[in-house]
Amino acid sequence: MIVIKQGYGALRRASMHRLSGVALAAMLAMSGQAVFAQGALEGSSLIGQLEGAEVYAEEIAFSNGFGEAPELADLVAAGELPPVAERLPSQPLVLQTLEEIGQYGGTWRTAFTGPGDSEAGNRVMASDRVLTWDYSGSTLKPSVARDWEISEDGFQTTLHLREGMKWSNGDPFTADDFVFWYEDVYKNSDIGGPRIQELQVAGSEGRVVKVDDYTVRFEFDGPNFLLVEQFAAQGNVGGQTWGQNSGRSLGPYAPAAYLKQFHPDYTPLEEVEQTAQAAGYENWVQYFHFLKDWRLNTELPVLGPWKTVQPINTSNWVLERNPYYWMVDTEGNQLPYIDRVNFGLAEDLEVVNLRAIAGEYDYQQRHLQLAKLPVLLENQERGDYTVHIDLATYGADLVLHMNMSYTADEEIGKWLRNVDFRRALSLGIDREQLNETFWIGLGTSGSPVVADESPENPGPEWRTKWSTYQPDEANRMLDAIGLDQRDDEGYRVRTDNGQRLVLQAAAVQSLQPYPQQLEMVAQQWKDIGIALDVRETERSLAFTRLLNNELQIFPFSNSGSEKLFLVPHYVVPIDPSQSNNGPEFARWYVSGGEQGVAPEDPYMIEVFDLFRQAPSVGEEERNRLAQEIWKIVVDQQWSIGAVGVSPGSFGTRVVSNKLGNTPERSCVANQCRTPSAAYPQQFFFR
Amino acid sequence: MLRYIAHRLLMAAVTIFFITIITFVIIQLPPGDFADAYIAQLAASGSAVSAAEAENLRREFGLDDPIFIQYVKWIGKILVGNFGYSMEWRRPVWDILSDRLWLTLAVSVSALLITWLIAIPVGIYSAVRKYSVGDYIFTFLGFIGLAVPNFLLALIMLYIGFRYFGTSVGGLFSPEYEQAPWSLAKVLDLLAHLVLPAFILAMAGTAQLIRLMRANLLDELRQPYVVTARAKGLTAMRVLVKYPVRASLNPFVSSMAYVFPQLISGSIIVALVLGLPTVGPVLLRALVAQDMYLAGAIVLLLGVLTVIGTFISDLLLMWLDPRIRFQVTQ
Repeated sequence: MIVIKQGYGALRRASMHRLSGVALAAMLAMSGQAVFAQGALEGSSLIGQLEGAEVYAEEIAFSNGFGEAPELADLVAAGELPPVAERLPSQPLVLQTLEEIGQYGGTWRTAFTGPGDSEAGNRVMASDRVLTWDYSGSTLKPSVARDWEISEDGFQTTLHLREGMKWSNGDPFTADDFVFWYEDVYKNSDIGGPRIQELQVAGSEGRVVKVDDYTVRFEFDGPNFLLVEQFAAQGNVGGQTWGQNSGRSLGPYAPAAYLKQFHPDYTPLEEVEQTAQAAGYENWVQYFHFLKDWRLNTELPVLGPWKTVQPINTSNWVLERNPYYWMVDTEGNQLPYIDRVNFGLAEDLEVVNLRAIAGEYDYQQRHLQLAKLPVLLENQERGDYTVHIDLATYGADLVLHMNMSYTADEEIGKWLRNVDFRRALSLGIDREQLNETFWIGLGTSGSPVVADESPENPGPEWRTKWSTYQPDEANRMLDAIGLDQRDDEGYRVRTDNGQRLVLQAAAVQSLQPYPQQLEMVAQQWKDIGIALDVRETERSLAFTRLLNNELQIFPFSNSGSEKLFLVPHYVVPIDPSQSNNGPEFARWYVSGGEQGVAPEDPYMIEVFDLFRQAPSVGEEERNRLAQEIWKIVVDQQWSIGAVGVSPGSFGTRVVSNKLGNTPERSCVANQCRTPSAAYPQQFFFR
Repeated sequence: MLRYIAHRLLMAAVTIFFITIITFVIIQLPPGDFADAYIAQLAASGSAVSAAEAENLRREFGLDDPIFIQYVKWIGKILVGNFGYSMEWRRPVWDILSDRLWLTLAVSVSALLITWLIAIPVGIYSAVRKYSVGDYIFTFLGFIGLAVPNFLLALIMLYIGFRYFGTSVGGLFSPEYEQAPWSLAKVLDLLAHLVLPAFILAMAGTAQLIRLMRANLLDELRQPYVVTARAKGLTAMRVLVKYPVRASLNPFVSSMAYVFPQLISGSIIVALVLGLPTVGPVLLRALVAQDMYLAGAIVLLLGVLTVIGTFISDLLLMWLDPRIRFQVTQ
């Protein structure tokens, strides 16, 4: 039974009139405190209903057989491909398309910015995760795995695979592919990396066990209720396309039959080395890294809706449909509808935005800038596209991460570790001015806490806690903690040598224009007598200095923190490679106290304890833990939030009017692997 | 004469050797390495990376070796024509560059030709008709060209092109020719796309050369031999072209050495804005991403081009200017 949705979206699109930038800003801007994410844009026709295709819950018999793309039907007729019923698993994933049953054909034109922009493609392929989230990013759904169960005590997580499912080259996809990844890739000292936290419980390594061809079990020495969510996250067990490119060897599965030909455990080492050298690589390891990289190796079997036919290191990265894709619509037509995905190289963001207004993209949100909204709207008719605004649910596009483990300058370190100092800094930020200037008023001002509607949010009062503009209160607090002496320009002075107290921030040009935003904060902090020196820093240099514990303040986003336990490092310092608010503490945490510095802050220790409990408890209890952590994090202001829950980073979307089954509003979140939650495999050209 | 050339060649070889060392040192100077840059890049594109991956990358590319060892490995390969392997593009460096080198040369040479075609006649005119209305107009336009930043001009042109002429945005080929094999149609398509970037790049250099030409020619026109030639009854045009113009071309030729590297590196931002598949943007990305072997190969290439350019311009100057020839043979 298919429900045809009312086409009121189309009506709404028709009534979308042209706006000048000023009128738009005036119409959309919010003057008061935006407490609810939805409030800021209430009544704007740019933000629609959050919607998307859904996994169909019931079994369908498909007694009339399956449908397939005409070009595949031709191949079948020519005897070059098995019939569609044989290519699909016995229980394909049935997708309830968003609006209608689509038609086959067409090329989806989109952008990428170079070989470093693998994410442009990874995200389109993200249905190759073992599990996934629904279109709103809140409920776990089956994807590669048909079903899953966790034992009562949490020691075992079992995945049920789809019988008869195949890789894009026709090889069977079975439990062996999981075991091969675990034993021969992850554990291989030449190609695997260090241990990953997803497979560590209670201080010991988990095991991957084949129960039968279509059942695989992850066993641990302690309870692990978090693993199923990690299967659906952008993490170390987040699927093949995300995890096995650019030299990475993450899991939780890999195409065993194909890769064994090049692996010395299965093929004599000499032979493997010879093959590698013949292909122009120095050794089998380098060759292996190329072979398992879906962006480069067009021969590699994949599970996503498309597969690479022209690699990423050219000026057009082209994907073509996977003839063995294991998803169908409710009438039994094999997905994807669209034949080809074409990523056109644009090495400059201005070019991406220009091409968007020229109507050269069919569905594009990466690399589009919110600031370009007026121009994008102005050209809607000419370019034959519609602009949508998608609100993210993470708390901050701009958050000032305070380095709690900073010691290079004792005096500065002392103040950074003083909670009233941090709170005063936060009260000294005029977030509305930032919001109006950089988010055209479309953001939400406040603390870094996740959006109010999230089950991990501790309550609306935590959005404003210590996160409103109160310069008088801030001045009073700074005076009270002993920074009451000022120099002749009104700046507060250090307590150790009477010189001006200068804080330093290393700002990078990235998802946001951080240097410019911080300059505005610096102006605002003048009124509370705090001097902020903003250093615009090249990206990789900033991250290097971050790791080396050399930064005092690092402005960045906290994208990913909407699922706190999946991407925690913007909130709690637990990952040394990216710990924004205390790299030395992260080293201490990960090494079990052997390296780094132990935090003296009792709240930090409490947060670590709460965080450690997460894997061993169920979802409800985990949400409660997240709320507790957020309360402490906001109260302590280790990271000062400014503006977020906005369309600031991935929320400006251009959709061709020829494209069907596209959502009015789509989920912008790390775990949604935007645009994956909108199920691009059911987009189609009218 | 031959001794002079041999001496020059030897000097060139020594210079190139030092260039390789300097190149490598420069690339190693920024703190951090490719692995750090890679993590930064992923984080900035909204992805999470673990410490585990960074460790993997370092191992894969031997980033933990001492710099000296890395240099020896690199130079040893270059001597046998292997420029190494780009970490970011995951392709042999030469593959990436050879694609783009020809297009870079096409853009650069066109820009150079346009520059000269405008600058030399206008320079001559401005010198001969000093302080005339024409001189002022050309000077004014030239300075506008010099003052407007190239990339801004490129952006404005792009916008105008898309807005009023409906041209596709950026690139050197229309989408349908992008991957097509070479054919006459593709060459014509390339030429049509070449005009705009070549013109934009030519804008800045033109003003400078017009002034140079004008100043030099004014100096030459005052020389006694010009007066003598005119007195002997030669036409004004003939006098002008036979000696003063030829002498004034000296700066054009001696600056040729720097023209090529400048055209490649000077056009980086324009190439980025216009989305040209040339070497410039690749160099920029390679430096930002700390992709050593790729950046090293390009910097080395630019250095070698400069040395070769200098050598050629020396020979040309000898041919052009009898005074130099006289010095060498003495």
